[in-house]
Amino acid sequence: MMLLSLLPQLVVSGISTGMLYALIALSMTVVYRATTVVNFGHGDMVAAGAYASFVFGVGFGLPFLVAMALALAVLFLGGFAVQRFLMQPIIAAPHLSLAMMALAVGYTLRGGMRLEWGNETINLPRPYPQDVYMLGDVVITTDDLVICGFVILLLAALFVLLQVTPLGKVIQATFQSQRGAALVGINVPAFHAAMWGGGAALGAIGGIMLAMITPLTPDLGQWTLVQGFAAMTLGGFGSLGGAVAGGILLGVTEKLLGFYVNTMFIEITGYLVPIIVLLLRPQGLFGRRTIVRV
Amino acid sequence: MRIWQALLALVVATGLARPAGADSTQGITDTTITIGNLGPFSGSASVFTPLNYGPEAYLRYINSQGGVNGRKFVTVFADSSCNEAKGIAAAKKLVSEDKVFMIMGNPCSGVAMAIKPMLVQEGVPWMGSSANPKISTPASPGIFHAVYPGSEAGRAMATFALSKPGTTKFALAMHSDDWAHGYCDAATDYIKAHGGEIVATTVMEHGATDGTAQALQIKASGAQAVMGCLYQPELVVLLRELQKYQVGAITVGALGADFNQVVAAFPNRDWLKQHFFQPYQFQAKIGTGPLKKFHDIFVKYLTKDELPKDGVPTNFYYYGVPVAIVAVEAFRRAGPHPTRESWEKAIESLKDFDTGVLADTETFGPDNHVGVHKMYAVGLDAQGQETVYKAWGDPLPNAE
Repeated sequence: MMLLSLLPQLVVSGISTGMLYALIALSMTVVYRATTVVNFGHGDMVAAGAYASFVFGVGFGLPFLVAMALALAVLFLGGFAVQRFLMQPIIAAPHLSLAMMALAVGYTLRGGMRLEWGNETINLPRPYPQDVYMLGDVVITTDDLVICGFVILLLAALFVLLQVTPLGKVIQATFQSQRGAALVGINVPAFHAAMWGGGAALGAIGGIMLAMITPLTPDLGQWTLVQGFAAMTLGGFGSLGGAVAGGILLGVTEKLLGFYVNTMFIEITGYLVPIIVLLLRPQGLFGRRTIVRV
Repeated sequence: MRIWQALLALVVATGLARPAGADSTQGITDTTITIGNLGPFSGSASVFTPLNYGPEAYLRYINSQGGVNGRKFVTVFADSSCNEAKGIAAAKKLVSEDKVFMIMGNPCSGVAMAIKPMLVQEGVPWMGSSANPKISTPASPGIFHAVYPGSEAGRAMATFALSKPGTTKFALAMHSDDWAHGYCDAATDYIKAHGGEIVATTVMEHGATDGTAQALQIKASGAQAVMGCLYQPELVVLLRELQKYQVGAITVGALGADFNQVVAAFPNRDWLKQHFFQPYQFQAKIGTGPLKKFHDIFVKYLTKDELPKDGVPTNFYYYGVPVAIVAVEAFRRAGPHPTRESWEKAIESLKDFDTGVLADTETFGPDNHVGVHKMYAVGLDAQGQETVYKAWGDPLPNAE
């Protein structure tokens, strides 16, 4: 009986965790939609964002929001530079080369973080008190509310940016046809670099949120990369809305499988989901089936 | 004919005493003893490198005192990344190229198990701090545990939890690897042998950032104590979830986590009071009493990069040291012309040897290559003070 009574708690916790997966999947999707490159180093950028916030916030003693803003700026510039100086020169190379470059950038970042912080576990201080609220039998913490609220706000802002503003229309147009965008005078390489920067900054937000609720180690990105890919695949590769839905579904699924079946499933859910989705519905839940005429 | 028979017998006897190809004085010159210090200096397990720096600090201290029998220690560091393949390559280099006398440090169980056959084959001694009890039990030539293998720590975890009155229901929260089984299997055996039962077994893998399902399973099981056979980051994750879901069970963590770092990394120190404990390896609180001497050694002989950022050595630095203390004592006892045989015999002759660090004294024998067994527990008392306990509610007097 107690097992069933915990179902609402598992769903609420799954949504909270899933929001973080959604944010990370969204940040990966932005890069993928813009450049059709899957950034295998993205998880390490997520971790780097958290460390940047730690350096500004704890190292330099800056207020949390200032530290976070600076961390996002650093990651934006970092992502921009990676695309501009490392990816762009080989942009015409086979996808495998691009994937290897992204992977190498990620490993280099991780190595640097390990050099500096490899032998310690860091606690990124929260800028708010950690309170617990009871909704019936369901425990909700300030962390849950902050994470969900922040991600929803961010998604709303992204929606407005993409759907309403002229910049958003340019981004959407370039997503749809890069050749067409180039023909009407849009600087596509600069757009690619900006999207890499944007993706890195979005991922950094995910990293900072994650580091507030879990110990910060240089390997934080490994786990998030797997979950991000799984969420992308579940939602549909390249679909922004699908990435969000995929993240939330993944978060809830791993909690339910972990609790009701076996805790071993928590780790493998992120691997099982892509296998099942790719076999049964390769376009994901919200992706569109594409037919390429040759 | 008798001379030939005698020579043949000598050759056979020599061959039996040492494995083929072994040079029993390798790494020793008139003025130096070369030691291989193998550890995860890169990679995700580099949080354990203080277990390598602790003994290194002690060897530098001994060198500053003139060394042992006129010889000073020279350390060759090698990186295993806690990866078996890299560890084998690094150990082979230490043995074949750097010609070390022995291998020290080596906190990674997987690497230790992977290199053990080669070390035994080559006759190279090993004295490390990895947890897997199978490394030193049953006794193999040259392989010694001068610190607690996971099985001893696992028993200590269970012993402490069982000492809390009325505690009979236990949950396991563990990684799925050999390291975690080294602790949790021993704890389980001890619990069952003393009337307790395991009511939940949960798994949390390395890198996990959430422990909701595990915490809720533990809560639903009604467990009164949790055996946390987890590395440091995952142990902190589990404790956060247990706090969030108001699970009343106490948690006793394995030695894969540094008590001081867990307390520092946990946002709510108040909740840890009387909720979180670990087996305690030392005879006093960190940096106090007899351990003050070692604090000073670490600070003086380690570089800024080898110490934590705040310059204060934590648990793992002290936990690494007995390895070097016992090895150095064996060199002293082996006399002015040490060989691997005489060094090993010197270790096997140690009885009730006090390292000045560990809670137990070191006793070895030909069939017993694990020197220490008795442990205490450490936790925060009701006032939030770090306290060493002999058993639940029984603080160790004078553990200052």
